[in-house]
Amino acid sequence: MLDRLAFIITDGILLGLIYAIAGLGLSLVLGIMGIVNVAHSAFIMLGSFFAFELFRRLGLDPIISFFLAMPVFFLLGTIVYRALLTRIERVSQSQGLVAMFGLMVLIENLSTIAWTTDTRVITAAYTNASLVLGSLYIAQVKLIAGALALVLTLLFWAFLRFTLIGRAIRAMGQNRDAALSVGIDVRRLSAVVFGLGIACAGAAGVALAMVFPFSPNTQIQWLAWAFLVVILGGLGSVANTLIAGLIIGLLQSLSTAFLPFDYVYLVLYVLLAVILVLRREGLTLVVKRAI
Amino acid sequence: MNAVSSAPILKIANVVAGYTAGHPVLRGVNLIAQPGHITGVLGPNGAGKSTLLRAIAGFLQPSSGRIVLGDEDIAALPPHRHMERRIALLPQGRSTFPELTVAENIELGGWTMRGDRARLRQAVEAMFARYPHLRALRDRPAGSLSGGQQRAVEIARLVIGDPKVLLIDEPSVGLSPIVAAQVYRELEALKAEGRTILLVDQDVRAAIKIADYAYVLSSGRNDIEGDRSAFEGDLGVMVRRWLGV
Ligand SMILES: Nc1ncnc2c1ncn2[C@@H]1O[C@H](COP(=O)(O)OP(=O)(O)OP(=O)(O)O)[C@@H](O)[C@H]1O
Ligand SMILES: [Mg+2]
Repeated sequence: MLDRLAFIITDGILLGLIYAIAGLGLSLVLGIMGIVNVAHSAFIMLGSFFAFELFRRLGLDPIISFFLAMPVFFLLGTIVYRALLTRIERVSQSQGLVAMFGLMVLIENLSTIAWTTDTRVITAAYTNASLVLGSLYIAQVKLIAGALALVLTLLFWAFLRFTLIGRAIRAMGQNRDAALSVGIDVRRLSAVVFGLGIACAGAAGVALAMVFPFSPNTQIQWLAWAFLVVILGGLGSVANTLIAGLIIGLLQSLSTAFLPFDYVYLVLYVLLAVILVLRREGLTLVVKRAI
Repeated sequence: MNAVSSAPILKIANVVAGYTAGHPVLRGVNLIAQPGHITGVLGPNGAGKSTLLRAIAGFLQPSSGRIVLGDEDIAALPPHRHMERRIALLPQGRSTFPELTVAENIELGGWTMRGDRARLRQAVEAMFARYPHLRALRDRPAGSLSGGQQRAVEIARLVIGDPKVLLIDEPSVGLSPIVAAQVYRELEALKAEGRTILLVDQDVRAAIKIADYAYVLSSGRNDIEGDRSAFEGDLGVMVRRWLGV
């Protein structure tokens, strides 16, 4: 029994780390720029296929793809920002939402043409291996994906906290006019923030592809997960996003273990509803903003 | 902080500006801020004082008229390009970055120095030397400070960039008389360093005490103007009656 509980908790934590990075970029872009990026999960899916193609064509290990995805998707994000968002920025929130929705549909359709709707998996050398700790079995891929997710989260946290540009990004989210007054080029920095959000989505997609099957038309499912993390964790705080991811991962693994399958999503969506009713800012009440 | 060498003159000529097309708030404002002087801008609520400062700081594009700093027309200059020209705004109300620490707030004031980190660090320390009461607060989030302490952070964040022209909007609102007096003393110190100050204030008495020259705006237009002695005499009585002070 104790073994089983240890397994469930370990599994939940590892899943939670992955969920946290699925929500991280969404939280950053929404918290700092006020853009509801509904195309976020489409970029997560592109991240999965990025790893898939590199693995299929070049035999590249997804661990390497994870780190490659960051600069590639950063660039992609800044291009999308310049092409799509500079024009509608400040015009209206709903126009931004419509544009991002259009982008999501576009990415999904193009991806379906490129990769069909078949479900894919990446089978690396360690995919079916397990780490045995006493009587505890942990799937190696989950361990690796969880560790990568933790690394990415820490990188983000450190970047926003310890670098001048990271502080400028936070300043921009806290008081846009004052940021402009001290000389920060908010427009240019916004492109960087959006790029970081997409870099995070791409890397999350690689981590997800190591653990879960994926296809172009299941990406929308990840949008729900990412929003769940953001709503629970509140906006713009890396620490809270991480905690929110962990809570959701644990809830999922616990409810998967102890409830009939159909109830797992019910538990999560009831949780979502409760949070939305109780408090808009989510966990921020409990855990003081701690970026 | 070194004395500022030759602050430029700031000239506002026939500026028309507003928030919605066809409804200008400023309807042809003229004004000169002399180098090294404090120039007051007075007037009732809604006269357009803050709008004028925001237009000078680049947050609002005048639909016509000129805003000239030295020999450059800066009317079309975007707001984030003002600091590098050493013209800085202290806006009305709170403007700290509330979740950043005091030190981080001040450091971002030196954003234009970011290419030279050693110099930036030195400049931050110079601000803690200049405003020693901030030193004990350096690692506190700015949003957790009192109104007076936050004002000091805002001033330090402004001064670190060594501005030659300061646009100051209602610096003493909401502060205790003692803290307000400190703020005005600091403005005089900044003037003594040779900086040009454009001071918008509801507190006519306090503003006139330190201003070399003052303009009164009403409904987005110039009303009366004069040097300190004019406002201290008959004009002062008139303005006070007119403002209901
Ligand atoms: N952001 C805004 N959008 C639209 N109208 C505005 C905005 N800010 C100010 N106004 C309008 O512009 C006019 C002038 O406002 P402004 O803030 O410049 O006056 P003020 O002289 O600074 O007044 P106060 O002494 O109350 O600060 C007012 O009628 C106000 O309603
Ligand atoms: Mg005002």
